[in-house]
Amino acid sequence: MAGIDVGGHGGKRNSNHEIPLIPFIDFLLCLVMFLLVTAVWSQMARIEADAKVPGPPKDDQTVDPPKEKELHVEMRGERKFQLIWKEGTTVVNTIDVDRKEVPVNEDVTYPDLGKKIEAEWKTNGSHRNPADKKFDRAILHTDNSTEFKHVVAVLDAIYVTKREFSAGGKAEQVPAFQVTFAVD
Amino acid sequence: MSGSKPLSRFHQPISVPGRRLLHNLPLEFVQKKAAGGGGRSVNTEIPLIPFIDFLLCIVLFLLASFSATGELPVDKNVKLPSAANAIDMSEAPIVAVTSTQILVDGIPAGSTRAIMEANRMQKVEELAEILKNKRELWKQIHPSPNEPFPGNVILQVDRRVPALVVKSVFQTAAFAGYPAVSFMVSRMGKGE
Repeated sequence: MAGIDVGGHGGKRNSNHEIPLIPFIDFLLCLVMFLLVTAVWSQMARIEADAKVPGPPKDDQTVDPPKEKELHVEMRGERKFQLIWKEGTTVVNTIDVDRKEVPVNEDVTYPDLGKKIEAEWKTNGSHRNPADKKFDRAILHTDNSTEFKHVVAVLDAIYVTKREFSAGGKAEQVPAFQVTFAVD
Repeated sequence: MSGSKPLSRFHQPISVPGRRLLHNLPLEFVQKKAAGGGGRSVNTEIPLIPFIDFLLCIVLFLLASFSATGELPVDKNVKLPSAANAIDMSEAPIVAVTSTQILVDGIPAGSTRAIMEANRMQKVEELAEILKNKRELWKQIHPSPNEPFPGNVILQVDRRVPALVVKSVFQTAAFAGYPAVSFMVSRMGKGE
């Protein structure tokens, strides 16, 4: 047991005291239990969906940037998705994917769409080099009546495709697409 | 001693004092112990001070992670969709969109029903105003020009809300200066 010895024996009262460590340990254990029980282990996460909003032109922005291939994901059809590769307004390629939804609890997923997008990116993606700091862009189009859970399911399918990205000598797997949610 | 009269206790020879117990057991390790040649002492002190240090470290860790791990304000009327390929949450204003109303950090900022009844995409004026105020407040707190406004906002949308409402809120947030929009989701297990 820990104690404090101040020496000397001439006083009336004993100056040596024992620190009560056992109650202190009990208190700490109670505190640990309380914190563990009341801790909230969060299951919340987020899915990114940038907005492409036109703004006022900048003075130094005189030349249009080179047009890159973009993947447009159309989920307006009831039976199929359309994957459209576009360069500016020019349609390069169009692929139909059957709309097979897999229910997961109260939500849905589209694993076939995810696999098809991954295969398409491996063939047509412009930014596949790990050293490339740019990312391919995917734009999601949906109709107004679609429930939000289906929108998230398609966003999730787009984010299935991963690529290697090395920054500062450290390589990591990151989503291959930057997704824009179109509000057309 | 056989055949002779046994010695009385007053006639016992003087012997060296010492341990007497266990001497008659014919086991080598017992004899060693009994002779006082044991290796280590049986009595040990429990090291309480390192144990207390360890407990204090756990308490500090739990206290530090207490606020960061959870306590995200999820509106009780919002049932979030789930996604497997989601990333960790970040600090940003949270816009909750339920089936009836729109809230920014718990403050009412518009009606979902009004958008659905209009049946067209529209700017949510109250929401835009609140987000602009938040943006101005951020700029006052961070006056340095080297620190650009991040423009992050997190939309906490109920899974049954139609895309028309999501688009309206999304566009309003973007025009209010928040182009980096994220959707809050529940993390789906890999096995699901």
